[in-house]
Amino acid sequence: MSGAGPKGPRLGLGLSEDVDLLRFEQQAREAEAAPGPAPATPGEWIRQNLFSGPVNALLTLASGTFVLFVAYQILSFVFVSAQWEVVQVGMRGYMIGGFPVDEAWRVWASAYLVIVLAGLSYGVSARRLRPSAGQAAVGAVIVAVAGAIVFFTAQTALVRALTAGVAPAVFAGALVGRLLGRKILKPLVVAWVLVFPAIMIVVRGFDGVPPSEWEGFFFNIIAATVGIVASFPLGLLLALGRRSELPAVRVASVGFIELFRGVPLVAWLIFSKFVVDLVLPPQMVIPDIVKAFVAMTFFSAAYVGEIVRGGLQGVPAGQYEAARALGLSTTRMMALIVLPQALRSTIPAMISHFISLFKDTSLFVAIEVTDLLAAARRSASSLQYFGRDMETLLFAGLIFWAVAFSMSRWSQRLEVRLGVGRR
Amino acid sequence: MADRSATAGIEKAGDDRMIVADDVVKSFGHFQALKGVSMALNKAETVVIVGPSGSGKSTFIRTINRLERHDAGRIFVDGIELTDDIRNIAQIRSEIGMVFQSFNLFPHLTVLQNIGLAPRNVRRWPKKKAEEKVMQLLERVGIPEQAHKYPAELSGGQQQRVAIARALAMEPKIMLFDEPTSALDPEMIKEVLDVIEELAESGMTMIVVSHEIGFARHVADRVMLFDDGLLIEEAPPNRFFDDPQHERTKRFLSQIL
Repeated sequence: MSGAGPKGPRLGLGLSEDVDLLRFEQQAREAEAAPGPAPATPGEWIRQNLFSGPVNALLTLASGTFVLFVAYQILSFVFVSAQWEVVQVGMRGYMIGGFPVDEAWRVWASAYLVIVLAGLSYGVSARRLRPSAGQAAVGAVIVAVAGAIVFFTAQTALVRALTAGVAPAVFAGALVGRLLGRKILKPLVVAWVLVFPAIMIVVRGFDGVPPSEWEGFFFNIIAATVGIVASFPLGLLLALGRRSELPAVRVASVGFIELFRGVPLVAWLIFSKFVVDLVLPPQMVIPDIVKAFVAMTFFSAAYVGEIVRGGLQGVPAGQYEAARALGLSTTRMMALIVLPQALRSTIPAMISHFISLFKDTSLFVAIEVTDLLAAARRSASSLQYFGRDMETLLFAGLIFWAVAFSMSRWSQRLEVRLGVGRR
Repeated sequence: MADRSATAGIEKAGDDRMIVADDVVKSFGHFQALKGVSMALNKAETVVIVGPSGSGKSTFIRTINRLERHDAGRIFVDGIELTDDIRNIAQIRSEIGMVFQSFNLFPHLTVLQNIGLAPRNVRRWPKKKAEEKVMQLLERVGIPEQAHKYPAELSGGQQQRVAIARALAMEPKIMLFDEPTSALDPEMIKEVLDVIEELAESGMTMIVVSHEIGFARHVADRVMLFDDGLLIEEAPPNRFFDDPQHERTKRFLSQIL
């Protein structure tokens, strides 16, 4: 599918040519959709695609051997030589680190809140977007892997039950969402807006757990959420500020972006911990983690601002003119006409950035936060399990990957729903 | 040509002139697009502007609703002078509908939403009233069945008719058309011109920048030739096409006819 695609009428010169172009793209899409002449047998398919000439055959043999070798090495490690006990013992540490065990229900409650909401949302959208067989297969594999991990690692019956309950919760949510359909769309949006404050209350309220004790994967999730939710609106403002007619606003936006983008995130995190106190009056104490969250938000907002700016540049001048000619105020023009088009085209870049921000929450190790990755490494340096880094890192990597992959799939559904590249 | 007394008495009530331009000047950098254009447009009158590209005809109609800010001279729309005041500009824009060469429909909105957007958000109409208006307008431009499609799913002619309906949705007193058929395939030009003609017959006050000579002859009350940032000649269509007074007009007509 073409990246930019036709955005309805274009500006400019040969508009009749543009119409032809639209037609051409439509034909191209149809050609893409239609499968070519299907090969008669699997043997035929292999001959056509893998051994169509001497060079191709050689390449197929070489790469095939390499892939098989790597796969054999990995599988033999995972199923034969690995000792997964280290992961089993360290599981709680990976998930919540030093979070007080007696308060762990707060994390479970938060997790279930998100899980049920996700299920509901999936159910509502699945009405119009059925997953294909391939998607369903990928989903089934992930569920099977997750189930196996739960089965082999859970240390108490309660944890086993709660983890196993995730799947039914998602399923029930999806079913309810599917039954109710778009009727609950607005309440769902409100619920998603309120879910983060709700989690903060569940975790911190009623003699809860202070941020300094948030650790493990729970920390990664919270930090990424804070970073994404806070940096998106700030980045939007930076992008608009960069295009402002007021020179002061423009200079300030550019300065902010260049400053925060130009220094590594790790450096900002450390600065936030040690340097901010130098400029603040001594009686003013801000928790380290809050300062670091602010630093991460600013860092991310600089990127979001540039991504949005790119999207804004893709909106043709004619769109502004049409909106103005209708008498829309500048605010309405931006909110109703320009930003929806600009943001839609930035979804791939934006999600990429947010995935990378999610993974970068591991960098909080620089200010002594034990996140999932740090917990994994630590558990492999204990006396009993010394040297079991492969197991712990593989597991941590799998968790990070699963979340990043989910974000990516979600963004693809969003693109389909919003018709990116089609209109 | 330049009617120097154009603005005299414009503030008086009962004036029939919907648009008065007096010595309007506009430059882009060193390029002077308008070198002092004066004209007046009466209520229910249709003026067709012709001229070579770069002659300032598009720039001129764009100054009337402030898509371009004029550097000097004065413009009155329905008795209100166009100034830098934002409220004044908003008011004037809500009285003028504009149709663009490249349609400029909003690609992320359906036809219904495209047309209903301004009534809902500028006029603050309730949803039901706006939708009724939209359907009525779609009937008028002949494509009620396309209401729930997106612009990219329509032909060029249909898109331009939606754009006309969108401009009409604000119930403007004046319509400006900036080469409304130049971007269309030949077989789609007529369906758009028919809509514009129907509009002219219904008593709308209009300025149409167009190269459709047949249309101009048929629909215009007056035809104007712009060249090099100046209004060269204006006359009723018969005289303009059959007996042009200016050498420049004769040359232009000989090139396009």
